[in-house]
Amino acid sequence: MKRGGALISFLVVALLLQGCAFSRGTLGDDVPPEIVETIQKGTTTKEEVFRLLGAPDRLLPLNGRDLFQYYRYDAKAASLLLIVLNFTRLSVKSDDLFIIVNRDGIVEDVLSSKRTENLEFKFWPF
Amino acid sequence: MTDVPHLWRVSSSIFMAALLAMSSIGCNVVRMTLNTTLTQDDVAFIVPGTTTLTDVIKKLGSPDSITDSDTAVVATYRFLDLRYSRVNFGYLAKPWTPVDPDVIFSRTGLGVDAFEVLCDRKWVVLHTGFQRHLSRPPFLIPYPFQRSRRLLPNELPPFGLPAIMAAHGSGDIRSSVPSPH
Repeated sequence: MKRGGALISFLVVALLLQGCAFSRGTLGDDVPPEIVETIQKGTTTKEEVFRLLGAPDRLLPLNGRDLFQYYRYDAKAASLLLIVLNFTRLSVKSDDLFIIVNRDGIVEDVLSSKRTENLEFKFWPF
Repeated sequence: MTDVPHLWRVSSSIFMAALLAMSSIGCNVVRMTLNTTLTQDDVAFIVPGTTTLTDVIKKLGSPDSITDSDTAVVATYRFLDLRYSRVNFGYLAKPWTPVDPDVIFSRTGLGVDAFEVLCDRKWVVLHTGFQRHLSRPPFLIPYPFQRSRRLLPNELPPFGLPAIMAAHGSGDIRSSVPSPH
C-alpha cells in the first residue's frame, strides 16, 4: 500500500515537472564573508589579501592606489516547455569584492556585497 | 429542446480557445535579467556632496566596476532586462506538409544599462547618471519590421548625461538630484 502511494506521488511529481528545465551556471569562486571580515582597514597588507583570497580577478590603478576586484557570477535559468508555447527566464547576479590598497601596500577600504543570495529560479517572464 | 444561447456560448468559447491556441503556436517568450534594474526612485536617496559611496553600497550593493578618471572615481552598476519573443508561423503548416517549414518572426533589444556614480577621492558622491543602451520592444509582439522609435521624454532618464562625462567637464552638468529649494 505504501509502495503504491509512493509510486503515485512520484508519478504526480513527474507529471507536474514534465516540460520543465532548470539550468545553472557560475563564474568565479565564492568569497566567504568570514574571510572578508578578517580583512581590516589600515592593518591588513596586500600580501595577506593575496594569501586569503588569491590573485584578484581584476587589478586597476585608482588615483595612485591599487584596486583589487574579486567577482563571482551566478546564473539561474528555468524554462517551461509546452511544445507550442515556451517560457524561459534567465537571471544573472554577481558578487563583487573591491579592496583598495594604498601606496604602502596597506588595505585602505573594502567594498563588498552579495547579490547572488537572493537569486531564485523563475519561470514567468512577464 | 436545445438551449441555443448556451450552445452558442459553448461553441464561441471553444472557438476563442482554439483561436488563442493557434495564435500562440510556436511561441517563445524569454526574459533575461542581469542584476536588479535600478530606477530613479531607487537612487533618489543619493544627495551629491553629502552621500558617500559606502552609503550607496549599503543600499544598492557593491558596484560592478570601479574605474579611475582624471579627477575622481566612477563606480558603475550594470543591469539588463532583456526581453525576447519569437513566433514560428511554420507550425501552422506542419500537419499538411512532409517537411518542417519555418516562418519565424522574432524581436529583442540588446544592450546593458548602467548607473554611474562619480565620487571624489574621499568617496563622496559628486554626480550620478543613468546610461541607457537597451531599446525595449513590445514584449509580446515579435514583429521585426516596425521602425525603431525614439524614447519619449517621460521614458528617458531624467538626466541622460553619463557621470563619466562630468569628470571630463563634457556637456551641461546638472546635479542628479534636484535641489529641495
